[in-house]
Amino acid sequence: MAPPRTYRCEAIILGYTPLREADLLVTMFTRDQGKVKAVAKGARRSTSKLVGHLEPLTVVRMSMAHGRNMDIISQAEVIRSFSELKEDLTAIAKGQYLAELVDGFGAEASANPGLFQLMIDTLGAVEADSASDMPLRFFELHLLQVSGLMPELYHCVECRNELEPDAHRFSPNMGGTLCLDCSPDDAHLRPLSLRALKVLRLLDRSEIVESCRLSPDDGLAAELKSLLSTTVSYWLGKEIRSNSFLERLNKESHPEVYI
Amino acid sequence: MARLVQELNRLPGIGPKSAQRLAYYIIRLPDEDAYALADAVTSVKQNIVYCEGCQNLTDASPCQICADPRRDRTILCVVEDPLDVLAMERTRSFRGLYHVLHGVISPINGIGPDQLKLKELFIRVADAEVTELVVATNPTLEGEATAMYIRRHQGRDDLKITHLARGLPVGGSLEYSDETTLSRAFQGRQEI
Repeated sequence: MAPPRTYRCEAIILGYTPLREADLLVTMFTRDQGKVKAVAKGARRSTSKLVGHLEPLTVVRMSMAHGRNMDIISQAEVIRSFSELKEDLTAIAKGQYLAELVDGFGAEASANPGLFQLMIDTLGAVEADSASDMPLRFFELHLLQVSGLMPELYHCVECRNELEPDAHRFSPNMGGTLCLDCSPDDAHLRPLSLRALKVLRLLDRSEIVESCRLSPDDGLAAELKSLLSTTVSYWLGKEIRSNSFLERLNKESHPEVYI
Repeated sequence: MARLVQELNRLPGIGPKSAQRLAYYIIRLPDEDAYALADAVTSVKQNIVYCEGCQNLTDASPCQICADPRRDRTILCVVEDPLDVLAMERTRSFRGLYHVLHGVISPINGIGPDQLKLKELFIRVADAEVTELVVATNPTLEGEATAMYIRRHQGRDDLKITHLARGLPVGGSLEYSDETTLSRAFQGRQEI
């Protein structure tokens, strides 16, 4: 029997680009099929029934039809719009950072419901407190986890000994933390403070709500940000473009940290 | 022939097959039509400049609108693209001046504030003659982010900043409206 021509799915809209005269090519991350690119016909016309339902950072219930080359969006209904997030410039920039990472790590035709839920939870946390960067740190670490790239935080990746409560080193290339006794030749090796290691372990074991209650001082926040975004960028194999705008907004809000 | 196909293929929305079709069409054109097309491409690159005022594309700077003494110089309408100026002019309901950003802030695509004509906008806005800024970016996530960025960085406390009304389009349908559009339509309801 031939597979059904139409199907329904829940998706987070990651972005879109104009296609032909009035269509959109929508990139979304679905719960059941991973990343999907589909065409929304006529969606750029102001009277389109799809317009408004396909804005990035929106959770949508879709009806789709299999097309010859690409699937076609026939219906879309907003489940969660994150409307408060979209009224705050910093929160939008953070949401776009998350979308870029999900676009980069999410694979087509490969379900990753953990990543789907992680994105929704993190968007909710950003909406609740756009000033805190902890939702992004939680997302970065758990993104690595649900992608099978979780860095080792409890044993030295070289000698496999349990890590002592001390300052250590970290290498995304070697897969996590190294004790000070091991000194491999690795260009990605960087220092890791005990405080940062403790926060990483807490992020690993906690739910997002609990993690977002943390308010690290500026030095610790900068170390965590640098370590996690470097690790994510390393696995992505390219620069995260939305990071520079986010950095710019951060500099404007906290110029003293960047002097 | 291969070079022409390659060049046409670089245009937005033109794939390899369409590029081949266009190339064959150009080859079959009468000589004068083909040369007129080539001349138009060359001429547009040689003669079109950014207007020193609104940053729109024009063959003479300042452009016709900026040079028109009848336009209201106290109101600036900020739009994303030159085509938006044409759309606004068709309404004949705006008599102020424009400012064309040539895009919106789109961090995912590597477009930040420095890639847009925002610096030029903030210089214009610093002029006390301007009393109102109408931010007419599209009501999309990136358009709204750009509007918020402008509001945050324009640098004046006494400037009135507005954006176009949000709500239902003419010929639209309540049934298919998303919740954001519908709630904004309620907020902006008017007496009849």
